[in-house]
Amino acid sequence: MNLMEEIIAAVDEMPPFPQVVHRAMQVIAIPEYEVSNLVEILKVDQAVTANILKLCNSAYFGLPRKVSSLKEAVVYLGSDQLKQLLLSGAASKIYEKPSEGYAVFADELWRHALATAVMSQVLRRHLRLKIDENMVFTAALLHDVGKVVLSSFVSDRYIAIESMVESGDYSFQEAEKDVLGFDHAEIGGKIAESWDFPPSIVAAITFHHEPARSPKEFRLLTELVALANNLAVMVGYGTGVDGLACRGHGLLLQKLKLEEKDVEELILLFQMEMEKTCDIAGVSER
Amino acid sequence: MSLVTIGIADLKVSNNPEDTLVTYSLGSCIGLAVYDPVAKVGGLLHYMLPDSSINQEKAAKNPAMFANKGIPLLFKQCYKLGADKKRMIIKVAGGSQIMDAAGTFNIGKRNYAILRKMFWKNNVMIDGEDIGGNCNRTMYMQLDDGKINLKISKKGMVEL
Repeated sequence: MNLMEEIIAAVDEMPPFPQVVHRAMQVIAIPEYEVSNLVEILKVDQAVTANILKLCNSAYFGLPRKVSSLKEAVVYLGSDQLKQLLLSGAASKIYEKPSEGYAVFADELWRHALATAVMSQVLRRHLRLKIDENMVFTAALLHDVGKVVLSSFVSDRYIAIESMVESGDYSFQEAEKDVLGFDHAEIGGKIAESWDFPPSIVAAITFHHEPARSPKEFRLLTELVALANNLAVMVGYGTGVDGLACRGHGLLLQKLKLEEKDVEELILLFQMEMEKTCDIAGVSER
Repeated sequence: MSLVTIGIADLKVSNNPEDTLVTYSLGSCIGLAVYDPVAKVGGLLHYMLPDSSINQEKAAKNPAMFANKGIPLLFKQCYKLGADKKRMIIKVAGGSQIMDAAGTFNIGKRNYAILRKMFWKNNVMIDGEDIGGNCNRTMYMQLDDGKINLKISKKGMVEL
């Protein structure tokens, strides 16, 4: 097997994206969905049920009494909280696989994924981008999933990638592509495909380092994820071995005529939101 | 020895010689370490943005997020523990950039520029710095001797 074939085999062996999350997201997407339908889906998965109850009873919400019914918790949390909880619960498990190759700290990939998701939400909201919230959150959360697979294959080739990056002329993704023949974004796209995510999300993951190559109909989503990734890396959330060696994709900022102060304000809003999210998700900001 | 973590948009000071202050993942943010070797008082600030005028309300709640609020506060808190401005050793790290010829993502540069401007106005000399590039840095300060170590992506550990 050549390297690409080996990696494709590893992609096939990845645990599937939890069906319960997929199905729950479909129900939540229906306007005025039946809560009991949602509860029927969720209750099958004990870990998901436990997480929902745990979040609902967390100090963050400060409820006067303990909630022990799943239905009550679902109603209390509401669709937005629930969607984020389900998606980030699934993603955190995927990213927390030990990855010796690519992460400086064990939970660095996950922290970066979460920061990018939060950043993309802040950008979507404050730039008033007409684009589905779930889609943005999911694509941003999973954009680096290719690194999870790739990091166990790079081992001996890593030094070559590193020295190309050190030369200062190559971004980490460009060096990956040069040394391996493909990059983590491409592999991430393949994983998302194997998980049956829609083409929009697959495109955003595949092209998050090269948004100009994304198909036109998915361009805005891809540019948004690319920008959110840039900003999350820049402010220091989850920079692994690649440091800040990624190319800037500020096209969206230029299109929207945003100035320095606007970007600073977006970062401020992001940080406030990130502190809240880390608090709720029990992630240390570090 | 205890490791005291300074988060993003955070500052801490100490006079416990057993402590090591640490702040992780400085990208475009700046880590500012100040130390008085006589009083053995030190402090570390990790700020994100240059100027609090974009949101006064948030600045009041979290001054360490901004250079213009966090830097004076860091010094003041050290003075409270007996540090003297004349003796302070000042070291700075961070202010990195992603690879961007268009200059859209230059917050790191602006974070550093405001610090230089504030120090110049207040006659503060920088004793050591490691700024810019596209690496990320983790900054450690040992309280017993004020030694600053940097862990730099792609380079490893160096003393500043």
